[in-house]
Amino acid sequence: MSANPLRSGLIDDRTGDACSVVIFGASGDLTRRKLMPALYNLGVGRFLPGAFAVVGVARREKSNDDFRKEMKEGVEKFSRRKPIDQAVWSDFEKGISYVPGTFEDPKTYQKLKEHLAEIDKERGTRENRLFYLAVSPSDFPSIVNGLKEANLVESTPQKWTRVVFEKPFGHDLASATDLNNTIRRVFHEDQVYRIDHYLGKETVQNLLVFRFANSLFEPIWNREHIDHVQITVAEEIGVEGRGKFYEQTGVTRDIVENHLMQLLCLMAMEPPISLDADAVRDEKVKVLKSLRPMERTAVAENVIRGQYGRGFVRADEVPAYREEPDVAVDSRTETYVAMRVFIDNWRWGGVPFYVRAGKRLSRRVTEIAVQFKKVPHTLFHAGDGGITPNVLAMRIQPDEGIAIRFTTKEPGQQTILRDVAMDFRYGTAFGSNTPEAYERLLLDAMRGDATLFTRGDEVIEQWAFIDHVFDAWAKGGNAPPPAYPAGSWGPEQADDLLAKDGRRWRKP
Amino acid sequence: MIPSVSPPRSTTIAAIEKQLRDLWTQTPGEISQARACTMNLVVVASRDVADRYLPIVDEVVLSTPARAILVALEPDAATSILEGDVSAVCGIEENASCSERVRLFASGAVCARVGSAVEALLVPEIPTALVWLARVHVDDPVFSALADDANRVVLDTEYTSLSSLLQLSRWARSAAGRPNIADLAWTRLAPWQEMCARFFDDPKLTGHAKKIRKLVIRQASDSGAKLGSEGALLLGWFATRLGWKMQRIGGSVRFRRPDGDTVALELRKSPMPANIAPSALTGVSVEATEDGVPITGTLNLEVEGTDAAALLVWKLDAEVPSASEQRVRLSANKGARMLERTLHRPANDPALAESALFAEEIYEEGLVVQ
Repeated sequence: MSANPLRSGLIDDRTGDACSVVIFGASGDLTRRKLMPALYNLGVGRFLPGAFAVVGVARREKSNDDFRKEMKEGVEKFSRRKPIDQAVWSDFEKGISYVPGTFEDPKTYQKLKEHLAEIDKERGTRENRLFYLAVSPSDFPSIVNGLKEANLVESTPQKWTRVVFEKPFGHDLASATDLNNTIRRVFHEDQVYRIDHYLGKETVQNLLVFRFANSLFEPIWNREHIDHVQITVAEEIGVEGRGKFYEQTGVTRDIVENHLMQLLCLMAMEPPISLDADAVRDEKVKVLKSLRPMERTAVAENVIRGQYGRGFVRADEVPAYREEPDVAVDSRTETYVAMRVFIDNWRWGGVPFYVRAGKRLSRRVTEIAVQFKKVPHTLFHAGDGGITPNVLAMRIQPDEGIAIRFTTKEPGQQTILRDVAMDFRYGTAFGSNTPEAYERLLLDAMRGDATLFTRGDEVIEQWAFIDHVFDAWAKGGNAPPPAYPAGSWGPEQADDLLAKDGRRWRKP
Repeated sequence: MIPSVSPPRSTTIAAIEKQLRDLWTQTPGEISQARACTMNLVVVASRDVADRYLPIVDEVVLSTPARAILVALEPDAATSILEGDVSAVCGIEENASCSERVRLFASGAVCARVGSAVEALLVPEIPTALVWLARVHVDDPVFSALADDANRVVLDTEYTSLSSLLQLSRWARSAAGRPNIADLAWTRLAPWQEMCARFFDDPKLTGHAKKIRKLVIRQASDSGAKLGSEGALLLGWFATRLGWKMQRIGGSVRFRRPDGDTVALELRKSPMPANIAPSALTGVSVEATEDGVPITGTLNLEVEGTDAAALLVWKLDAEVPSASEQRVRLSANKGARMLERTLHRPANDPALAESALFAEEIYEEGLVVQ
């Protein structure tokens, strides 16, 4: 597209390349709730090219019209822009079509190939294809191989093929390695986009800006000034009818292995040499490689898991995890995990990173909190515990923003110290109608920018670290996780994890 | 969205400062409201333009919290007056934040002191945008005092002139530390530029961009009206992107492509719907032929009633398998959206400077629509 002279110097130019987006798993919730509203909103924002099409692929038989109707209902319900703009929708839906078929059946891919060729002729999509696998990971190999058998995987300078994988990418190191190998037999790494929708969130992207566009913080972003870091991904909700899925997953696979590790990387990485996708991902991989491996004995000392019991969340009584549908009455699946992690490199040597994630916790919050060291000498009379250390809290959700806690003098004759917070909130400063993560990520994939996607070696390093934990749990007889009441901040043992270091969890 | 605005309190500068403080002093039992401020937004205009611009400012500060200072000037008035009032502008949703809006009115000799008055009211440590909705003279003491405090100066060549833009650009480039320059008319052109570029996105048609043989620009005006700023800037944009040169032969103007062939230019009038500004762009069409293959691209503004935002209807007539028609919605409440978008765009836009330079040449030729 750069050859078009009228695009030279267009400062708003973020238009995606002409392409067909093919969604496998088009009958699923993700397509209706997230993907189609994201594509529609890109259309409203004029980010979609004129030559554009969306093809749904799923097992159920349905007509193009039925599929369009379903998608319209999804957009009407879940789009951030309401009501739907009929003029824009009527153009958009002309490009929507549906191909029924099972993922194992080679005929599905032949039908798809013929259909895409028709679309190229009718809509000028230039044989550019973005395959989006919104399916269970167990379907990944069938689809990847099906695409290969149908010769739908080629990328040349004239046409591109990219493939987006939804998480989870594997369920342990071995399966992730197998999956990577399967994919690499068919696609080059630069065709592969492993999605972690956290990376599409504005505040996560802002982490890089905050760190590397402000000279104030980088000089103190190290072991000399930082006492410890806490990363929290807390949810109020339980398994929400996904008991079967959760029984096989648990919070460590669902949240820690991907979202939380990515937050850790962005917080701890060195400045990349550029914002080029590989430059950023190289630095993240270095962080993952620097994580101190969790040997079996270290797991017992550094990792706490838990499972929610009955309790109250927002004053509503909620059932215990084991009382949820499709959950075993003696389930040992963890719904909470807390870890003490060390990054063994020059910058972070000796600084503990306390990370935790859980369901049915006191409130929904995702944040990175950096606690700085105490002042070396107390000049002022302060209450118990002396002067409170400064904290920089980066809130990812909700109320995205950044707050700095510092100490001031209360007005008056006496020198009385008081903690105050300087609070910047994204929604307040920039309005709340910011693009959804999927909008940013889909557009990036259409434009061939993989910076906000996880590279194969990142995924492997993430699993390599987490696998030690699973290994230790398995070898330790997979003891039942300690229970914590729903609506609390997790099991007491998690408090002890910090208490033995003389610290305590924040209550964000 | 209609903001909630507290009743104004009229007063002078010292009192305005006090009222700005008082605005946020909570009385017992009162529900506290969050305020936010990400920039100083200083708008300068004549009194009638300032009155018309007030709702736009109120709308903009809902999504870009700011201390807005709206200055209405009447320098030719016989009496010297400086007065002002302060209001809080708040969103109506739950937990919406509030901005501060100061209105200043200056008339007569006291207008010269407006720069000092505004400076006293600026929130320190945050960017300042100066929106100047009058003709620009860089040696105007009010302008230079305010522009010195600004990071970005925004004008609207539709209401001032292309000369103002060029004069301002030259002034900004003449010394380090001067503010960046933006033009609301240029921001309004962004969707037109994007959609015009789409005519040539297909690799089979990219070569046609350099073979345009006819360009038609339509604007909302009667026959004989001068080509407006939007049309001139769009023409300048085409010309500078595609390397066209302007030639004058026997008193008429023509455009030559780099390959020496001529580009025919037609400027046409179109009806003036009630909610479209005079001289606003209403349509563009391009015809190009390469290797004997002709294409025609048209882009037309469609207005559905007075409240709805306009649609841009894009059509491409070409022997390629591309979508032949596409519609995109332009933003509703264009004034507020355009200012907001201008404030959020990258500050330095070389294409604007190049296009404006070319546009001024066109403008000086006094091209009129037929």
